[in-house]
Amino acid sequence: MGEVELSCLAYVKMYLHACLFPRCSVNGLLLSSSPAGGAVCVTDCVPLLHSHLPLAPITQLALTQVDVWCAQTQQRIVGYYQANACVSDCSPTPCALKIADKIAEQCNNAVLLMIDGGKMSPDYRVPPIVMYERKDSRWTLKDKHTIMLRQWEETREIAGQLLDSGDHSLLVDFDSHLDDITRDWTNQKLNAKIAELASPANV
Amino acid sequence: MASVSEMYDVTWEEMRDKLRKWREDNHRNSEQIVDVAEELINEHASKLGDDIWIIYEQVMIAALDCSRDDLAWTCLQELKKQFPGSQRVKRLGGMRLEALEKYEEAGKQYDSILQEDPTNTAARKRKISILKAQGKNTDAIRELNEYLELFVGDQEAWHELSDLYINEHDYGKAAFCLEELMMTNPHNHLYCEQYAEVKYTQGGLENLELSRKYFAQALKLNNRNMRALFGLYMSASHIAASPKVNAAVKKANVKYAAWAANQINRAYQLAGRGTKENKCSVKAVEEMLESMQITMS
Repeated sequence: MGEVELSCLAYVKMYLHACLFPRCSVNGLLLSSSPAGGAVCVTDCVPLLHSHLPLAPITQLALTQVDVWCAQTQQRIVGYYQANACVSDCSPTPCALKIADKIAEQCNNAVLLMIDGGKMSPDYRVPPIVMYERKDSRWTLKDKHTIMLRQWEETREIAGQLLDSGDHSLLVDFDSHLDDITRDWTNQKLNAKIAELASPANV
Repeated sequence: MASVSEMYDVTWEEMRDKLRKWREDNHRNSEQIVDVAEELINEHASKLGDDIWIIYEQVMIAALDCSRDDLAWTCLQELKKQFPGSQRVKRLGGMRLEALEKYEEAGKQYDSILQEDPTNTAARKRKISILKAQGKNTDAIRELNEYLELFVGDQEAWHELSDLYINEHDYGKAAFCLEELMMTNPHNHLYCEQYAEVKYTQGGLENLELSRKYFAQALKLNNRNMRALFGLYMSASHIAASPKVNAAVKKANVKYAAWAANQINRAYQLAGRGTKENKCSVKAVEEMLESMQITMS
């Protein structure tokens, strides 16, 4: 199958989401602002839940809301990510497969991304992620060489910086939004901070 | 780096009181606890009196949560000196072994507590936590069921069991646990709402109607529970859209859904007032409600 590119913004927010709730399983959606066809470019992500991932109502609600927002902002849902609470096991859970299946119905080269908690230590050299793609109705492991993270070193730096400065607490996932609806699950503030750190002036 | 008291301009008494509040409310804000308590112990230990022991316990557990084994070890030594032979301290020692992933040793520690005192619930629950940490969910569920047969009033255990069942997708049993919790805590809106979510997930007309009722109940207990409000809207909409319901039921559910949609809109408009960044969310909700209405009629 094709290549997948993961942007700095998407990676950093996913990573911070997992760091913000180290004791819970977390999940979220991967978005792309590029047109369909060719390589999949994951340009952004929306963190969804950190509690009761298998329960349906809030997941359905979140999927509908993100769908609507994507239509408004010319983005598409192209994948799903999850980080399991139990660090020793980063295989996709049944609920991960179910949601990924649903996404694949609308997007035929959708990706399923699992964050490998075991590889998230401060001295990790490689992206702590495992990607799956759909081949013959099953989710199979993707060849590492087809996954691209441009400027990985800078991305890792930025994630580390935001974690050290405590800015990861700025991240709002859908669960947190429902606890306080004034909080913005599109994370405009955090996006701006990441963009600032990623700009050529800072690198 | 500035001290906590400097950064937040608080006195040592206020820090001590904050720690007590967090203890009583069972907050798991471990990084904060470590920051505040470490400073309190280092600078003001003499003023704390006998409070210091319970603070040592609190900060030790928080330190384990943040991988601060140095701090945890110090606290444990102080507690061991003051309370030699205490089972409560022994349990803390077991927790430290758990944090270091030395599960077998931790298990032995808890077993020795249980030999002396078979009714020690804390040690029994820690043994179940070890199973959970190792990903042995089915074993944890089995042990927790056995535990609850003996200690049927343990709310924390019932809630833990319901979470475990949800993760195993055994929604019927999760619902049973939540029913136990609702019986003993009839004013807790969160249990109602969680029960409703489980029923909704189980699916089918009967479960949807139950879920709608419990979402409504949760709202009665707390009219600001957004999950319950959305849940009410979604369950009523699904019931109204079902081909299996008669006209009267359909009409009633359309009314409930419309009411919920109205409340949701109002809540978002109130929240969105003045903040530019919330315009995205408000619009998304409006469009979602519109699109769901179209499918309903």
